[in-house]
Parts: sequence; C-alpha cells; structure tokens
Amino acid sequence: MKRVVLALLILVGLVAIAQAQGAAPSPAPAGVTHTVVAPMGQPGVSTPPTDVDTGSGAWMALLFWTFAGVAVLGSIFVITRRNLIAAVMGMVATFFAIAVLYMMLYASFLAVIQMLVYAGAIMVLFVFVIMVLNKPEDEPWGLVGLPGKALAGLAMLYLLVRAVGVLWNVTPPDQKVAMDAPPQIVVSWREQPKLNDPRPTDQNGLVPVSERYDFGSTAAVGNSLFGEYVFPFEAISILLLIAVVGAIAIARPLKDDHDQPGVS
Amino acid sequence: MSDLFTHVGYGHFLALSAVLFTIGVAGVLLRRNILIIMMSIELMLNAANLTILTFARMHGDLSGHSFALIVIAVAAAEVAVGLAIVVALFRGRRHVDVDRITMLKH
Repeated sequence: MKRVVLALLILVGLVAIAQAQGAAPSPAPAGVTHTVVAPMGQPGVSTPPTDVDTGSGAWMALLFWTFAGVAVLGSIFVITRRNLIAAVMGMVATFFAIAVLYMMLYASFLAVIQMLVYAGAIMVLFVFVIMVLNKPEDEPWGLVGLPGKALAGLAMLYLLVRAVGVLWNVTPPDQKVAMDAPPQIVVSWREQPKLNDPRPTDQNGLVPVSERYDFGSTAAVGNSLFGEYVFPFEAISILLLIAVVGAIAIARPLKDDHDQPGVS
Repeated sequence: MSDLFTHVGYGHFLALSAVLFTIGVAGVLLRRNILIIMMSIELMLNAANLTILTFARMHGDLSGHSFALIVIAVAAAEVAVGLAIVVALFRGRRHVDVDRITMLKH
C-alpha cells in the first residue's frame, strides 16, 4: 500500500511539473482569475472561449482523473484499513483531492475552507481520539460469510448504478455539455453618498452601486452568505455553540472518576 | 469514447460524487468500528458537497456555496459531539464496537 501512495504522489508531482513548465495553458488556478465577463442573463460573449475558460481541456481532464483517482482510492483505503491511523491518512488524501476538485469547480473559497476545516481540524480531532482509544480491533468487518458479503456487494452495486444513472443524465440548464466559465456575480446595493460625491443619486438620495466579483471568490460567497443566507449562518453559530457545550458535557469525566469536592 | 476521458463535464463530477457516496455507505454498513463509521459519514457529506458545488457551477448560482459552507459547519459540530460520545463510551466499556453497544436496545 505504501507503493500505491508513493506512485500517486509521484503522479501528482509530475502533473505539477508539467503545469509549471507551461506546456499548455495552465488550467490549475481555476476560479482565481477568469476574464470572460458575461453579465447574468446575457448569453453573449464576444471572444470564443479557450480551454482555460471552459475548463474542459485535456489538461483539465488529466487533473480531474488524477484527483478523482486519489479521492476514490483514499476513500477505499479508509474503509478497508484495520489500522485507524492509516484510515485517517487515507481520509486526509481524500479531502485534499476533493479540495482540488472544488478548485476545478471554481469554488476557490470552499476549497480553502475544506482544507482548513476537514484536513486541518476534523482529522486532527480524529487523530486525538484514536490516540486516546489506541486499541486494536478484534473483528473489523460487520458482515461475515459469503452470503452477507454478496448481498452487501449487490446492494452497493445497485445504489451505485442508480445514483450514477440519475446524476450522469442531469442536463445543464442551457443544454450545454461543455463547462463554460461561470459568469461573474453582480452585486448591487444602494449606499449613502459621501461628501461632495460626484456619483448620481436616485430619488431617495442614495447612490446605486454595482460590483462584479469572481464566481466562488470570498467576496461573492460572503455576499451570498451574509445577504440571502444570513439566518442559516446565525443558526449555525448557535448550533456550534450547542455542539461545543454538549461535547464538553458528554466527554467530561463522571463524578465518581475523581471525587474532588467542588467539581461537579 | 475517448471524448469521455479527455473532456470533463458536469457528469464526471456528479458520477464521482456518487462513487464517493457509495463508498461511504459501504463503510457505514460493513465496518464495526465507530470511528471508521464516522469517517464514512464525513465521506458521504463530502460527496453531497461535491454535488452541491457542481450544481452551483452548472447554474452559475452562489447559493450552493453557502449551502456547502453550512454543511461543513454541521459536519464539524457532528464530529465534535460524535467523538465526545465515543470517548464517553470508551471510558466505560473499553471498546468501540457498535455491535456490542446495545444498552439502548433493551
């Protein structure tokens, strides 16, 4: 298994080197800069899109297959290892590959959050709990015997076929299969005019302002999150508070573990 | 057929998320260690996030990014509480085998 991981790392390194040498227009930093400006609702784009804009060239395909392979192999690694630390390492590889796929989907902010929260925080929490537990498994597999395994395999295969069958046939709203660059997000608001503001005001004395942000950038996601979805965002903060208090309350040692007075 | 491999479309991302979700379901069903089960649940949440972000890109709509961020936050809360339960269980009975944790069953 070490050889498999090593081979994957070498493959990723080769891809990175090929990207750095500029053998092709680099599609890697998708979502960071893209110059096609198509206002929402207006389909006309004057310049023909290149591979970088559409995100569907051969280099993009190589990146996709590489990191899709890392994700699938890492997740299989997770559910087959007896050693829990090995499983966590497979999980980290999977999360890293999924973050790269987020970048390919122009979700640069979500990719960074994925790395920070999952690979950074959640996996460290898992490693700490494994360190506390540190007990080898007696019988790792829940299903034993050939009938159980065959039944589980058939059920998994059915689920996979049905899910892929539904998802593969999803048609984009504009009936295009090629992945054009997503349009920039236009955010409009009205603000109070500053002193000696040359900008025109509307009938209420406010200045209409319109800004463009790259799709998936932090500013665009923030505008969505703090504008339309501000209530779920605040609900999430309460949920996290409850979860932290609940985790401390559950994992706290019981009273008769330490009979110190005053510790409740 | 070669077009399938050299031109990545939305279907590729969606099919990959279906594969990852299936692997997560298999992990939940097949393994008995509660930590592996929780990691498989994380895997399924990630597959759902991948689907959400693919649809967000498909429609050019950033609502999906907000949803994905909320899913990540909920996953973090779930892991915190779940691992606390694991630690509390392990303190009492020195194992985390889900087939032997049946105290709510009777």
